[in-house]
Amino acid sequence: MNKTNVVVVGATSAVAQAAIRIWAQRGMELTLIARNAGELERVAADARVRGALTVATVVGDLTNTTFITETVRAMNVPRVALVAYGSLTDSARADSDAAYLVSELTANFTSAAVWAQSLAERMAADSANGGTIAVISSVAGDRGRGSNHGYGAAKAGLTAFCSGLRSRMAARRVHVVTVKPGFIDSPMTAHIAKKGALWATPDAIAKGIVNAIDKKRDVVYLPGFWRLVMLIITHVPESIFKRMKF
Amino acid sequence: MNPLSLDQPWGRGYIANQTHRFVDGGPLVAEASNLYLPRGLGRSYGDVCVNDGGTLLHTFRRDRLLAFDDVHGVLTCEAGASLANIAEAMLPRGWFLPVVPGTRYVTVGGAIANDVHGKNHHRWGTFGKSVLGMKLRRSDWGSIDLKPSDTLFRNTVAGLGLTGLIEEVTLQLDCVRGPGIEQDTKLFGGDGTIDSYLALDAASKDWEYTVGWIDTLDPNLRGVFFRGRHCDGPDEWLAPQPARLTMPMDAPRWLLGAWSAKTFNALYYRAQALRTATRETIPLWQFFFPLDAVNAWNRAYGKRGFVQYQFVVPTAAARETVPKILTHLREAHVASYLAVIKTFGDMPSPGLMSFPISGTTVALDIPAPDEKDRRALDRADAMVADVGGRVYPAKDARMSAAMFQRFFPQWRELEAARDPAISSSFWRRVTASQDLQDE
Ligand SMILES: Cc1cc2nc3c(=O)[nH]c(=O)nc-3n(C[C@H](O)[C@H](O)[C@H](O)COP(=O)(O)OP(=O)(O)OC[C@H]3O[C@@H](n4cnc5c(N)ncnc54)[C@H](O)[C@@H]3O)c2cc1C
Ligand SMILES: NC(=O)c1ccc[n+]([C@@H]2O[C@H](COP(=O)([O-])OP(=O)(O)OC[C@H]3O[C@@H](n4cnc5c(N)ncnc54)[C@H](OP(=O)(O)O)[C@@H]3O)[C@@H](O)[C@H]2O)c1
Repeated sequence: MNKTNVVVVGATSAVAQAAIRIWAQRGMELTLIARNAGELERVAADARVRGALTVATVVGDLTNTTFITETVRAMNVPRVALVAYGSLTDSARADSDAAYLVSELTANFTSAAVWAQSLAERMAADSANGGTIAVISSVAGDRGRGSNHGYGAAKAGLTAFCSGLRSRMAARRVHVVTVKPGFIDSPMTAHIAKKGALWATPDAIAKGIVNAIDKKRDVVYLPGFWRLVMLIITHVPESIFKRMKF
Repeated sequence: MNPLSLDQPWGRGYIANQTHRFVDGGPLVAEASNLYLPRGLGRSYGDVCVNDGGTLLHTFRRDRLLAFDDVHGVLTCEAGASLANIAEAMLPRGWFLPVVPGTRYVTVGGAIANDVHGKNHHRWGTFGKSVLGMKLRRSDWGSIDLKPSDTLFRNTVAGLGLTGLIEEVTLQLDCVRGPGIEQDTKLFGGDGTIDSYLALDAASKDWEYTVGWIDTLDPNLRGVFFRGRHCDGPDEWLAPQPARLTMPMDAPRWLLGAWSAKTFNALYYRAQALRTATRETIPLWQFFFPLDAVNAWNRAYGKRGFVQYQFVVPTAAARETVPKILTHLREAHVASYLAVIKTFGDMPSPGLMSFPISGTTVALDIPAPDEKDRRALDRADAMVADVGGRVYPAKDARMSAAMFQRFFPQWRELEAARDPAISSSFWRRVTASQDLQDE
């Protein structure tokens, strides 16, 4: 039985790659899924060199429902899954390009929810073992901001979906971890030049994710100080918040 | 891993207007009026990793290990992989890098482009010697595979990033006995010469690693000699202790003068003297990378940054010239912390522009050098040049074009092999006004 099987959806993300390294060094069996075949092959090679027991790759459109359900049906039952992909929506473009807004909401919310749901069902069906799913949401989902309302809304939806899924699956031995990172210095944010003390590296975030999975935490802010920052931000009165530019 | 800063080299204090591009495996397209420079983790001290007015091509995200032959210890990886990353993955399997500099936070590409050396130069030579092959991408010729016998290979090792973007590298790793180092510590000097250092070094040729620390502010030139060899150790040593300390802020200016340096050096010597003539087994991380234990320790030298002055003089001249230069710098009141002294072996370096030659090298950290310090260093350059020595570009931010061209007369060959779409602030500085400097 594939008791150590770890599935990573969006395996080319910087955070996912860093997490994959930790699992590879632990000698896990990995199934890596991404849309970019060339990059995925490199990530898989890296995992093999670092000691993964086996590495399988699946390439496809991560936002396509049929691809999602077929892939999950065909894979070995995972014990651990990480849903990592995401796209930082260009708010200015979303203002006037409805099709773009829809595709972004699909990438960040709809498809991610379908992955989490399908993986949870697959794990629950293996009632002897169960499993753990970590989904990368964001602190951006804690409150909609003017600068990224589309992205924030999708992540808010994902956070809510995960908390509901966690509760639905609790009796069926499937655990759901909601990961809420703050700013990460990764390709997603490469266009932001000034990066101060609030920024974390993908390596640090990945360590936090693997740790949260090991300890079956429910909701983690990474790094932890973001819990406090978001507590304050969510308590700013809306009349003031709506005028804040960030 | 990520660099500490996308803009600043390790020595800091630069004001450079640079745009940033992240290498993604695509072609290198030459753009008129824009020059590129490949960049690793920015651990070079000065402008070899700065490209004012141009674009930095960041490689640190191309850091995948691609293949490993665990029978022969042959590793193929992307050039942005850090030595830290490789060592952590390979040490548990009994393999280590054959050459490491004083920090593990450098990329393979950077280690090749400066052809870095370590504490085992006398037995192994430079990093470039362990490179079995490279994939180089150029704006004019596309992607090319290089093997050690190719001229372009020889120009790319120690080629300062100028011959193209190194994309993938095949490395020979070294089989080690375990994660420990058997270290032996001895005191030397005290008589104003480096004779006792040279004697200790000569008597230590069968040790894999040798290096000395020397108090250049003490007219007696006392120091501490470290020698080590690989040995086994407990499993906890297979992974490095994560850095627990981060330098929280820039040190204030008053802390950086000659007086503080003198006190610091004296205290360090005292601490070593108390525990000297000892043999101990320590984690190899601690032996090779003592400074990596503090994140961003370069802030200790203050906002205005610092330079490192590293020169080498040939064996025949070392005994006389090294004390002469150190005395000159001391008398000019140049503050220096933690000077390192090392004797290189005589194996030829694989790169056209490799820094090491058979002889003795000294590296001094000089915080926020002022005009007076710079003049003193210019005089030191002349003393180095007079005996056929040279100054290390990886650490440099200040040598004159005239001096550089005396140290490295072969530079024109590198200029001829340069990718026309690539340049650096360093290269423009040291090749400027060449016609005036000739003859
Ligand atoms: C604490 C400390 C201790 C050190 N000790 C030593 C030592 O003992 N011995 C020693 O030799 N050096 C030493 N160094 C210097 C350091 O090893 C070199 O400067 C090294 O080249 C830095 O690598 P990097 O990845 O940071 O490259 P960078 O500093 O970013 O770049 C260095 C050069 O490499 C080029 N380059 C980088 N990547 C590529 C690529 N993919 N393709 C083509 N060119 C590329 C750049 O253009 C540049 O010219 C030390 C530095 C520090 C900070
Ligand atoms: N970076 C931050 O500041 C930050 C903060 C909080 C949360 N997060 C979240 O953290 C997760 C990881 O991000 P990261 O920082 O590692 O960024 P990253 O390296 O840029 O990774 C983003 C990943 O998402 C994939 N992706 C983007 N759009 C996609 C689409 N439409 N369909 C399918 N895949 C798509 C990318 O695939 P390709 O490689 O094929 O492009 C890539 O693998 C994301 O969920 C992100 O929202 C990031």
